[in-house]
Amino acid sequence: MADLDAAELVSAALHHDDEAARELVRRLYPLVAKMVRSHRPRRTSEEDLCQMIFIKIFQKLKQFSGKVPLEHWVSRVAVNTCLSQIESERVRPELRHADLSEEEQAVVENLAASSEELAPDRQLGSRQLVEHLLEILKPAERLVIDLLYLQGRSVEEIHEITGLGVAAIKVRAFRARQKMKAQLEKIGAGRTA
Amino acid sequence: MNPPSKNSGVARDVDLDLDRLLRSASKAKDEAPAEMPFGFDTRIVALSRKNGNGSALAGVLRYVALAAAAVILLASAGAYLEFNRNADPIIGAGNEYAIADSVIQNEVAP
Repeated sequence: MADLDAAELVSAALHHDDEAARELVRRLYPLVAKMVRSHRPRRTSEEDLCQMIFIKIFQKLKQFSGKVPLEHWVSRVAVNTCLSQIESERVRPELRHADLSEEEQAVVENLAASSEELAPDRQLGSRQLVEHLLEILKPAERLVIDLLYLQGRSVEEIHEITGLGVAAIKVRAFRARQKMKAQLEKIGAGRTA
Repeated sequence: MNPPSKNSGVARDVDLDLDRLLRSASKAKDEAPAEMPFGFDTRIVALSRKNGNGSALAGVLRYVALAAAAVILLASAGAYLEFNRNADPIIGAGNEYAIADSVIQNEVAP
């Protein structure tokens, strides 16, 4: 099974070959887990969301035409499942300075104190702060910011993964940045208040 | 191009702050490798096969619903055509005088 390519595995899985289906899950798990980690709403566990995505993949496997690489198709299913999950757990709380962890507060202090790049030991705090900021965004905006800035993907790649138009991606990124900036300013003001 | 406002300096700073924050966040490493939980693949295959049977039933139900909708549509079209064919020619012509005349004759006739 390990030497079969993705298309052969898909074809075998569609013909009720359980071993091929299991091999497909094993091969695709790292990709799906990575997507889930980027977009997972806090209350849904990683494993539950992965399971939800794989069930969807197998339900829709007949629709896979083979015109695009399997990884792209799977990414799109994963992203859409994550988005609907985020939408169903819609929580967009106001973020206050007092809600931040010590690491996040230190990052805010650093941003205010200097215009230099943040030190490597602040990366985890930065990540946590960005995740907090992402929570105030709409799911589609969150997705675009994550892919564009955190994963470093190009607009073209995001278009391939999400199916969104190039203009829509840019508009969402702009709106998301505006919201994040407003929130960051508010947190900064809360620090001095 | 708009002239720079009094706040443009502040706005630019927040823009830069956000960029620095995002750059730093993107460098943070994932804490754990994406390892598949034990037995996950078997569970997925079993669940998808189970759901597959459910979707087969749903497919049959969808087919029955479509067939029923087609029958209703055909029956409605047939009823409409039949109604039009048997309609009163006077009413069909829309001649109001003829209608009135017919009613008067019916009233007066013994």
